[in-house]
Amino acid sequence: MQFKSQAVAKPYFIAAIGLFVGQILFGLILGLQYVLGDFLFPAIPFNVARMVHTNLLIVWLLFGFMGGAYFMIPEESETELFSPKLALAMFWIFLVAGALTIVGYLTVPYATLAAMTGNNLIETMGREFLEQPLPTKLGIVVVALAFLFNLTMTMLKGKKTAIAMVLMIGLWGLAVFFLFSFYNPVNVVLDKFFWWWTVHLWVEGVWELILGSFLAFVLIKTTGVDREVIEKWLYVIVTLTLISGIIGTGHHYFWIGTPEYWQWWGSIFSALEPIPFFGMTVFAFNMVNRRRREHPNKAAVLWALGTGVMSFLGAGVWGFLHTLAPVNYYTHGTQITAAHGHMAFYGAYAMVNLMMISYAMPILRGRAANSNKSQVLEMWSFWLMTIAMVFITLFLTAAGILQVWLQRVSDTPLPFMVAQEKIQLFYWMREWAGVAFLIGLIVYITSFFVGGEEEKAK
Amino acid sequence: MPLSDDDFGVEEEKAGQNLAVLAEALYLINLLLLPGLAFALLFGLWLKYKDSAPPLARQHLKQTTFVSLIGGFLIFTLSGLILTLGGLAWEWTWVILILYFTCIHSTLVLFGMYALIKAMNGQTWRFPLIGPAIDNPQA
Repeated sequence: MQFKSQAVAKPYFIAAIGLFVGQILFGLILGLQYVLGDFLFPAIPFNVARMVHTNLLIVWLLFGFMGGAYFMIPEESETELFSPKLALAMFWIFLVAGALTIVGYLTVPYATLAAMTGNNLIETMGREFLEQPLPTKLGIVVVALAFLFNLTMTMLKGKKTAIAMVLMIGLWGLAVFFLFSFYNPVNVVLDKFFWWWTVHLWVEGVWELILGSFLAFVLIKTTGVDREVIEKWLYVIVTLTLISGIIGTGHHYFWIGTPEYWQWWGSIFSALEPIPFFGMTVFAFNMVNRRRREHPNKAAVLWALGTGVMSFLGAGVWGFLHTLAPVNYYTHGTQITAAHGHMAFYGAYAMVNLMMISYAMPILRGRAANSNKSQVLEMWSFWLMTIAMVFITLFLTAAGILQVWLQRVSDTPLPFMVAQEKIQLFYWMREWAGVAFLIGLIVYITSFFVGGEEEKAK
Repeated sequence: MPLSDDDFGVEEEKAGQNLAVLAEALYLINLLLLPGLAFALLFGLWLKYKDSAPPLARQHLKQTTFVSLIGGFLIFTLSGLILTLGGLAWEWTWVILILYFTCIHSTLVLFGMYALIKAMNGQTWRFPLIGPAIDNPQA
């Protein structure tokens, strides 16, 4: 590794993978609860399992982003990290706060947890994805500010590259938009309106900048293509992301009580949202096709290409599938949304983190790339997890179409729970695809412990 | 030497590269934005240049024109068959139709993206399974 302080990224990556395992285990529990309603009840009720599944996803992705940024910024800025000690302190604070939050979800009834953690002071709890107790939310703000301070100071004393700037804009945006999680107006329309400023403007806004910059960084390192070429692609992708994604927030405003013009704005701009993902796929494949050298870390290149394709399919195609208001009128909040969510999160954010881990971890362990044996195993895990996710998405899509028909289109619409029983076949198939995903994840973790002849660090 | 401001890593390194990129772009536009109209333009280009364009452009024009036709056939005839056999009022018709359409359409788009990259880099590429044979693989 070029700078000693990059080593702080390692615990972040390890924690990210650990939490990823937790997320998948809770995903399997949830999947079973869809078909065996009483599974693990009352120990882990469905609403708690769902909250743990989604919160673990968010937290492991944040750990991955932080680790990736701590690895990337010193190298881009060509200087040591401003304060490695601060980075490590924040790691432990974030990990302990995250673990306590999950323990809280699992051991105390949610209402009691709210009462225990001062939700009456500022009522922020009880909203999907932002269920964290007030102290955890405040902890996230503190950790994010310290993290941004550390990286900004590093950049200020070093070189300022376009890729690092895009990453920093993405990370600052992430922190700024999280502040809307503290704003919880009594008016339900306003509540939902601004709730999306955290949720949507994260995943379809600033997180895409983080994704783009990670991808650009790894592609520069692995392909040897000129930085100027890669930076120009990045500018175009960032522009397309912001043009489509910001007003694209409107696709969440169709049915929440906002004026009707949002159906037009939301439909038009979110129909444009696949374009940056299209650009990213072309970008990744084009750079690999033009590579000037064969990087020994083939697994990292595979993850880079995979994130391009899968984010285009998951976020782009499956997003477009139900984003136009007249379609969304029928599909809103069905399993079609779940299908989109699964593939988009995996394709865009899980895979880009795995790409960064794949590239950085061997270097952090003192080698340019893992042994061939280890990489073969990692590539197996790539295919297992990716194909499993494709099937999860297809089964959920099938479930969603059937649900829409039975519950909303049919002349004799069925109640929600009756429709759920009719689509159980797809829930079972999704569960088995989930098991295949878990096997892929186990293979992925195993790849870290496989020896063999390693490529020396240069 | 510094790269020019408009360099996105796409240089006309080979004769016919721009025409090849245009062919692939029209193929994608036909699938994503202007179905029919973009194909008419692509078909017109193929008719005009199928014998006179440099080998690279000729290959891309041929691939995109034929794959558009076969892709269109796959999308419309099989979708029509699913609709005819299942009927509009059967829920499973829609499950199969939407899944089929989404998968086949996405696959054609992904192949098109890869073919576009090949064109941008001055290389020929045969669409898997449904692409016509490459006349001269060295082109």
